[in-house]
Amino acid sequence: MSVGEGITRRQALLGILGFGGTVAGTLVAPAAAEEHPAHPEAPPDAVSMLYDNTICTGCKACMVACNEANGLPPDTTLSGGLWHMPTGLNSKTKNIIECYKEPDGGGFAYVKKQCMHCLDPACVTGCPFGALKKNEWGAVTWESSRCIGCRYCEVACPFDVPKFEWDHWNPKIVKCEFCFDQRLKENQQPACTGVCPTGAVIFGKRVDLLAKAKERIAASSDKYFEKRVYGEHEAGGTQVLYLSSVAFDKIGLPKLGSTSLGHYATKVTSVIYKWLSGPIVVAGILGAIIRRNWNRHEAERPEREKQTGLLEQL
Amino acid sequence: MNTGNKSIKLPSSSDRPHATTSTRDESGSTFVNHWQRGVPVYREPVVTPPLIFFAALAVVGLTLALVRFVSPLGPFVGMNDAYAWGIWKTFNVLTLTALGSGPLAVGLAAWVLNRQKLHLVMRTALVSGFLFYATGLVALGFDVGRAWNFWNILLPWRWNAHSAMLEISFCMPVYAGVFLAFENLPLVLERFYYTGSAATKELLRKWAPRLRRVYPAMITGAYLFPLMHQSSLGGLMLLAGDKIHPLWQTPFLPLLYLLTAVFCGLGFVTLLLLIGCLRHSRPLDVDVLGELGNLLSGGCFFFLAVRFGDIVWRGQLHTAFALDKWSLLFLLETALILVPAVALRSKVVRETPRSLLNMATLACLGGLLYRFIPTSIAFAPAHKAVYFPSLPELFMTIGYISLGIVAFVLAVKYFAVLPGDIEDWNHMFRVMRLRRAASTAKGETPWPASPSTR
Repeated sequence: MSVGEGITRRQALLGILGFGGTVAGTLVAPAAAEEHPAHPEAPPDAVSMLYDNTICTGCKACMVACNEANGLPPDTTLSGGLWHMPTGLNSKTKNIIECYKEPDGGGFAYVKKQCMHCLDPACVTGCPFGALKKNEWGAVTWESSRCIGCRYCEVACPFDVPKFEWDHWNPKIVKCEFCFDQRLKENQQPACTGVCPTGAVIFGKRVDLLAKAKERIAASSDKYFEKRVYGEHEAGGTQVLYLSSVAFDKIGLPKLGSTSLGHYATKVTSVIYKWLSGPIVVAGILGAIIRRNWNRHEAERPEREKQTGLLEQL
Repeated sequence: MNTGNKSIKLPSSSDRPHATTSTRDESGSTFVNHWQRGVPVYREPVVTPPLIFFAALAVVGLTLALVRFVSPLGPFVGMNDAYAWGIWKTFNVLTLTALGSGPLAVGLAAWVLNRQKLHLVMRTALVSGFLFYATGLVALGFDVGRAWNFWNILLPWRWNAHSAMLEISFCMPVYAGVFLAFENLPLVLERFYYTGSAATKELLRKWAPRLRRVYPAMITGAYLFPLMHQSSLGGLMLLAGDKIHPLWQTPFLPLLYLLTAVFCGLGFVTLLLLIGCLRHSRPLDVDVLGELGNLLSGGCFFFLAVRFGDIVWRGQLHTAFALDKWSLLFLLETALILVPAVALRSKVVRETPRSLLNMATLACLGGLLYRFIPTSIAFAPAHKAVYFPSLPELFMTIGYISLGIVAFVLAVKYFAVLPGDIEDWNHMFRVMRLRRAASTAKGETPWPASPSTR
């Protein structure tokens, strides 16, 4: 160890900075603006669906239209191979009409389920290589070449929406993508809203549909549960909005806070990792202490080796 | 691994130049005691019935893993869309790498806190830590559905910098493949040095100073990286939000996961040293073990302080003591960590091998439980579903762990991993020389040639 310690220390520091710089280059750019505000605001061009289960007749035309538009095979497990009859969203079903019955046999209510297209989606925040992406008009889409199949999206999604093709060798993540490629890009509305005969689910800009939903609430006396729109604030806000005659959690829309999960999960780390400052500071402090102890250790090494007559082990 | 010194004389059995009685360290750095250097386990046969048993389990697990790679996940696993992560991720990676954090915990104590006596047990920590990470990464590789897309890691512009999963995908392979591998290099090179030809020795002698030159920078990285990804493992569960019971879902998950890594790392190295030395009839060193026990106690207390501080801060104290299913689970996990924390404050407990072994085991179990619960037990997806690992899933998990056990046993026998005393080291060379004399007649070349060929 004839090299002066000043040089090696500088080398170490430069090494760390060099590595840090490389990573920082990729980390810093997106971290500059607050990417995950607690209550994100919808961009003015955000598209939306409004589903009102007081209008829905449960005809399931939207399910057929969805499978057709997405080229999905019918899920015939329950129907004995006859027709599309899924028990819930699955890898062959991006959209489903479910029916809730009161336990006392009284009333019932429908609910349409598909991706909620959150304003700050947890799946997008978690996806390591950006396979899931908040696309134009806010549609959450999936790109196969970036997906490693880690299924973090399924763990993260508060609505349990993304599905994995468990029985495929080359599995895809299957979820409603707002008919982004097939229809939105062609200036058409999604298959489900286009086919709905009663107007239970309608398509439009989020800002317009939110206003429309509030008009409906105002126009009716007690028709709507809690007189509010589900999806306006849930999990930071979603682009699919719901009006329901029964409690939201009864029809499978979970009770959620108004803070986006992306904000909750990244509020601390985004500060620590900003410009990689946290890791660089920690590396600097650790490096300095380790260098000092190392030098002492090295200085004492010949003495120890002389004492034992053996090479020292690292 | 080193620049030369004078060759040494072989000590005879009556001549013990280095007493193995432990002497207190006055200068604050150099330390002489029972454990003086790593020594291979050379008195015993390499292949034993337990080794064959674990090797068989490893073969079964890895065979299943290979079949799994050309088959869809569905037939292999009990996972479903609600419980999309099974034990390969939640146990082999999220949970077991806490035990594999010995290199971080012991390394920080030795090189940063300057606990000099712990340098001796670094090799045990490094080998076991490397194996936990390596088998964990193998588990991950067969768990993901589209492993072939992992090349995206080479394209930084495709990285999602906000994703804890990205941080782990980058940090864990780099840590295991670069930093831990580098730290394990000396013990491998050392064997080459003592068994190799003159040319090998010459080469290693030339390279040793270069390795030493980068060593401090490399171990700095070796502590920075696990600090990042062990906390990110906890960070993963943040996004699951309300699916995780409020006793475990907290913004402090990353810190708490990191603190479990620290005390589980210390606890597991203690456990491994005790088991390894007892199994191979090595003398123990209460000074070193007591130091580990002391740090373990401190680590447990620190964890519990943060854990309870967080629960009070979030106003969940009533949930913690509601004595329902979740509260009892929480209390069990806390007790498993609190008992060793308190007991190990006593010097008598620390320096009694059996009680130290028991306490280290409890601490490890507590840490594992803390890490496993939020990923699986206290994890309730939005829709009702059940997950229990399928048989192939269990066999693969057991296979990965067995692979680690087999590799560790082999490492202990071929490399100077477990600590022993210098007399044992010198005796090994005498034994080997005798064996060589016996076998060169048959044309074999055993190692090592001689301790004095340096």
